[in-house]
Amino acid sequence: MSTEPLLQKPELVLALSQLDRCRLCMAETLLEAAKALLQPWAAESTLPEPNRMDVPIPAADLLAAVKALHDARWGYLSAITGLDLGPEAGAMEALYHFCMGAAVVTLRVRLPRDEASVPSVCGLIPSASFFERELSEMFGVTVTDTPDPSRLFLPDDWPDGVYPLRKDFVMSPTGGGNGAQAE
Amino acid sequence: MPTTEPREKFIVPIGPQHPALKEPGHFEFTVDGEIVTGATARLGYVHRGIEKGTEDRSWVQNLYLLERICGICSHSHALAYALGVEKLAGVEAPPRAQAIRVLVAELERIHSHLLWLGVAAHEAGFDTLFMYSWRDRETVMDLLENLTGNRVNYSANVLGGVKFDVSVEQADAIRRGLDFLEERTQHYLTVVTTDSMFLRRTRGIATMSKQQAEALGVIGPTARASDVPRDVRVESPYAAYTTFPVEAVLATAGDLEARFLVRVKELFESYRVIREILDRMPAGDLTARMPRRVKEGETVSRIEAPRGELFYFIKSGGGDRPERVKARTPSMFNFASVLTLAVGHQLADIPMIMAGIDPCFSCNDRLVVVNRIGHEADVWTWEKLRQYGIEYYRR
Amino acid sequence: MALNLEKSWQDALEQIKTWARVNSPWLVHFNSGSCNGCDIEILATLTPRYDLERFGVKLQGSPRHADVLICTGPVTRQARDRLLRVYEQMPEPKFVVAVGSCALSGGAFQGCYNIVGGIDEVLPVDAYIPGCPPRPEAIIDGVVKLLQNIQSGKHVRPAPPAPPSNGHRAENTDEEAA
Repeated sequence: MSTEPLLQKPELVLALSQLDRCRLCMAETLLEAAKALLQPWAAESTLPEPNRMDVPIPAADLLAAVKALHDARWGYLSAITGLDLGPEAGAMEALYHFCMGAAVVTLRVRLPRDEASVPSVCGLIPSASFFERELSEMFGVTVTDTPDPSRLFLPDDWPDGVYPLRKDFVMSPTGGGNGAQAE
Repeated sequence: MPTTEPREKFIVPIGPQHPALKEPGHFEFTVDGEIVTGATARLGYVHRGIEKGTEDRSWVQNLYLLERICGICSHSHALAYALGVEKLAGVEAPPRAQAIRVLVAELERIHSHLLWLGVAAHEAGFDTLFMYSWRDRETVMDLLENLTGNRVNYSANVLGGVKFDVSVEQADAIRRGLDFLEERTQHYLTVVTTDSMFLRRTRGIATMSKQQAEALGVIGPTARASDVPRDVRVESPYAAYTTFPVEAVLATAGDLEARFLVRVKELFESYRVIREILDRMPAGDLTARMPRRVKEGETVSRIEAPRGELFYFIKSGGGDRPERVKARTPSMFNFASVLTLAVGHQLADIPMIMAGIDPCFSCNDRLVVVNRIGHEADVWTWEKLRQYGIEYYRR
Repeated sequence: MALNLEKSWQDALEQIKTWARVNSPWLVHFNSGSCNGCDIEILATLTPRYDLERFGVKLQGSPRHADVLICTGPVTRQARDRLLRVYEQMPEPKFVVAVGSCALSGGAFQGCYNIVGGIDEVLPVDAYIPGCPPRPEAIIDGVVKLLQNIQSGKHVRPAPPAPPSNGHRAENTDEEAA
């Protein structure tokens, strides 16, 4: 097997690093731009990784925050992740991930476990419908004014009020679910 | 549940399979004459509860679970997951392992695009093309099996690296296989761009302008066919793509023909980068040591699967199993957009529009509910819709 | 195959039926929630390299004309009823082949909340073809072995699956919860 060392020439090393550095630079620049768009919420933002920024957003401000990114054409909504922090914490989070190049901006909406509710972003981003349906059926988050509130993945005969991705939904050893123990 | 207009919907059984029951896992098209005025979907046939399953399995076990989300892009899932977990653990897989990961990823892209070519051709009624492309695809399957031990679900990744090395003989076999495929792909390129029957089903159909594509939100080859340069390998390179870069293949027409063109041309790009990897394969180890428990934290892992961006969000609580794994597939993303796109098109174009995004599920199973305004709703099988499209264009 | 004319007319008819069916069985394929790995390998059996049709086996779409139901997947809750219906629409005598680990036992997805787990939780299965996925040759081998067993009379009809017991199946526990 040809085992030529990859990095034969120092100039190549430098060039490669420069390219990588360039990319990181671009990601940082993009994040700076997003931060500017997301004032005043961005005051609380954090950088968990060099190319990622987390911005906590109150549910009431979600539409405004999404609009700020959307109007400026900062990236696209790549996914909405639901996170259950557990019954003891009494809270959940809905994470809206926007991607542009290598940069990822996550709008984090903290929600109470009981009566968790976010506004729909479909008015701005119609294709968010699938993500919102999934968030709703898996976590029990109400997405107000979402154009299609029907289930996406769960069967019609899945019991109401049972949210499989919540921490207190426990699967029985033989599969299925305990339903009864949810809540 | 009906959403917008209150229209009486009766599901009438049609076709050999299904007595009257509203089926979960179907598409619903509302049509006025021939034109689609509304489109929605109810998925769930393949919903297994995998994300929940990851919370009950160790970091290593999840590799094997997640790579079975999809038999076509199984390596993509495992790769996205492995890269994410490695980031959380602060471990970097050695360069040789990363190069082999990219090698397998590109072989997977080739098999996936050839598979799609055959399936899309079948949707349009071109069964000869289906047979030829699947026969040629066997070459890639052989190469994958030779390298990894399996034709599907290759399990090339381990946390921290890869499971196997590439020998001189295997490298030569790959090169020979690629030579054959390259010649065949030239032929497909000719068919896709010059065959008049084929062009009738694809040229000017389901056109999405660049602005529309950006507004709707599409990713992968579908986006690139509308001149939107989204390709995670280029924008946010991972594994060995920094060392072995690829170029995003773009087309401007934004129609179905463009989507065919982009995928066929991407095959050439894959052949090129694989050859480059074989020629300049880095020396070194195949794995780096991974801890059993992964440090607390969250990460996002994005990679370019054959169908588009695959998005993983992984959260560790510091233990030996994940707290949360979220896997957003490219098909889910593209589906939502393409249903919006379907509105305003003819019913007969729907099979090809759907095929254009390379949806990730079994062909036989899709059911279609067709609501004709002023009539009762019909339940069609996908096969019926497909035939409808073929007949329509024969007139 | 020689017809034994000394047997009763009923037996002779059986022999003709078996002969026709075994020499040209029609297969219908059903995916009960698989990752598509097995389905693609089944489809691959139709392509020139493997060419299942040269064995006289035809893969077609309608259960009403099928002899053999070839199934993949761990049987998701949504797919379960459809699977039963497809089976019910097939005329007797009919046979079921389970292809792949998931169809055998739920495979990698055992314990996941939306699956029933294994085709034989829902239908009587006549042949099991293991693999993840089994390669096209293995699928052909399994189908041909089943056909040979049917032809030679060695094949034993499987018992129907046990009805779901309390607490064992998803639908029971969840219904009680609601």
